[in-house]
Amino acid sequence: MSWDPEALRGTPVNPDAAISVRGLTKRFGDFSAVDGIDVDVPRGQVFGFLGPNGSGKTTTIRMLTGTIAPQAGQALVLGEDVIRHPERAKRRIGYMSQKFALFEDLTVDENLRFYAGVYDLPPERFAAQRRYVLEMADLIGRENELTANLSVGWRQRLALGAATIHDPELLFLDEPTGGVDPVARRQFWDLLYDLASRGVTLFVTTHYMDEATHCNRLAFIYRGRLIAEGSPQQIRRDFISQRILEVSVGDPDAALQWLEQAEGVAEAYLSGASLHAVIGSGAQGRDELAPWLTGRMREAGFADVRAVEVDPTIEDVFVNLVSRQP
Amino acid sequence: MSLRRVRLLMWKEFLQLRRDPLLLRLLFLMPVMQLILFGYVVAADVRNLATAVIDLDRTSTSRQIEASFASSGYFAIVAHPDGETALKPLMDTGQVRIAIIIPEGTQAALDKGQNAPLGIVVDGSDSQLASVGSGYAGQIVARLNAERIDRLGVDIAAPGIDARVRVLFNPTLAQVNTMIPGLVAAILMISIMAIMSQAVVRERERGTLEQMFVTPIGRGEYLVGKVTPYALMAVGQLSLVALVGLFWFRVPFNGTFSVVLVGLGLFMLTSIGMGLLVSLVSRTRHQAQQTVMFIMIPSFVLSGFIFPIDSMPPSIVPISYLIPLTYAITVLRGSFVKGSGFEALAVQLLVMVAFAVVIFGAALIATRRRLSE
Repeated sequence: MSWDPEALRGTPVNPDAAISVRGLTKRFGDFSAVDGIDVDVPRGQVFGFLGPNGSGKTTTIRMLTGTIAPQAGQALVLGEDVIRHPERAKRRIGYMSQKFALFEDLTVDENLRFYAGVYDLPPERFAAQRRYVLEMADLIGRENELTANLSVGWRQRLALGAATIHDPELLFLDEPTGGVDPVARRQFWDLLYDLASRGVTLFVTTHYMDEATHCNRLAFIYRGRLIAEGSPQQIRRDFISQRILEVSVGDPDAALQWLEQAEGVAEAYLSGASLHAVIGSGAQGRDELAPWLTGRMREAGFADVRAVEVDPTIEDVFVNLVSRQP
Repeated sequence: MSLRRVRLLMWKEFLQLRRDPLLLRLLFLMPVMQLILFGYVVAADVRNLATAVIDLDRTSTSRQIEASFASSGYFAIVAHPDGETALKPLMDTGQVRIAIIIPEGTQAALDKGQNAPLGIVVDGSDSQLASVGSGYAGQIVARLNAERIDRLGVDIAAPGIDARVRVLFNPTLAQVNTMIPGLVAAILMISIMAIMSQAVVRERERGTLEQMFVTPIGRGEYLVGKVTPYALMAVGQLSLVALVGLFWFRVPFNGTFSVVLVGLGLFMLTSIGMGLLVSLVSRTRHQAQQTVMFIMIPSFVLSGFIFPIDSMPPSIVPISYLIPLTYAITVLRGSFVKGSGFEALAVQLLVMVAFAVVIFGAALIATRRRLSE
């Protein structure tokens, strides 16, 4: 395993990074929501912050945006100390939350005007930004509609437009695609790529594992601690030494039970419509692993079983990492 | 604090308020309707009280006594039982609320220059009715005495008792004059607290609060931008409700407008502050509504609005001095009915200033501590 969770511990914060955090800790009573995390987010990257619900993703973002103060640790955002001077970085960052945080009882135009006013945009710049946002969100001609009447995909793009109306250098997105259909999610990620290509650093939390592959870098947080960090390729390579078989079978429930007991199978779980079986690095060669398992399963009565070796997905890594935690 | 951002927040708030059809009704229509509706209820004087007369004397004097009760308008004589035993069932069933017993020998006693006792039996199950009823009865007896004294030219000290009740400030004892000013304050408090208590927590629920605090908007700017539009609307509301109170119910206004305005204005400020505080510390709108209810009920009961503070047990009285409505009612009643000026009401007004300072101070602290949690 090449990632060392201690690598950054105790090193000075890095003012050149978009975000640089050392020992960041937030406790609510006895509960440590974020427990001493160390991470550097390089500028201009799409940084995916992954973890199950309640693992500390939102709390981390709130500390980084200066909304709440941590109990311990250091945090630089765009080189500014957000713990001592939370107001300094605010003009240069943007934030979009899992809730649709525009004013529903204001029109599209009024929402944009409000946020442009908050950042004190000069009129000509506002005009340009407004045009850009309306085009991007596909809302031309609907400027005077109340945002309450927009459907989710449009609202979300408008919210992105409002959150970036001041051209932030760093954008925090907290589960931005929650409750959005797959097509709208794809469109939304296209917009995020667009921002990234213009040099905006994106700090995205999500629990959609397929979205994780869209990121340049990933960090996994679990129970307030970072348990993995690196590029998707690195993470796939480093964190799984085992091999994965995708198993399709008529009765996945029974097969899952069988696999969980089977010798040589480290782990088995449902993945979409099929099963993933994690095989401890056995002696079988590249083409031998699948026949080895299907043979045994046919003997056990699963006549229709098919298996194929697949590269571990981020989801495989994630399940694997979490199951390894104490 | 940036004035530009405060103005921006106010613009946004006004747009939102304008688009809330319920709110405008809640703010202007409801208080006026409540005032008119409750005004008639609280101001209802005791009239035509079902009365029984037990005339055991059966003389011209006793008939004169009965006649003066009957003609007062407060008493409707509905029964003439022949004794107290016959009275009891009438009272038990509520057919009769008050009974006047003229004992045998009343005229004879008066003629001899002796005191003549008159029995008044009151149904105490409705204490309000009982006290008002017996008060009126006392007045009538007193007037009767006075007439007799005049007519006979007898020595004043001798017969009867001079039970004349002098009612200060409100000679007709019209409840409306004291109740309407209090009602105005109470209704304004309900509506402004109910509305204000939703103001912040709604934004918290919708996530817009969180969004705004990631921007350069400061907490002070947010508070000022939030409260100012509501305060301006409260001024409009207050004027409307006070005018309806004055003109619809024709409450005689003996005071100065400036006292009433300062008193009501300060009271509105404390109400806005309390609503704001509730809104800041509540997690959900529902919670905020319930908290407002819990504040409102003791305010009504303990402020002297319904029950006089003088008649409260001494251990409860200090609590009523912790309620802003108590001071508002004293100021309004004093100003409307007695015409008291700033000097006479200085203590109450200063206490309200202190309330406003404490409440808004607490709101500011709550903004720092609670908004982002």
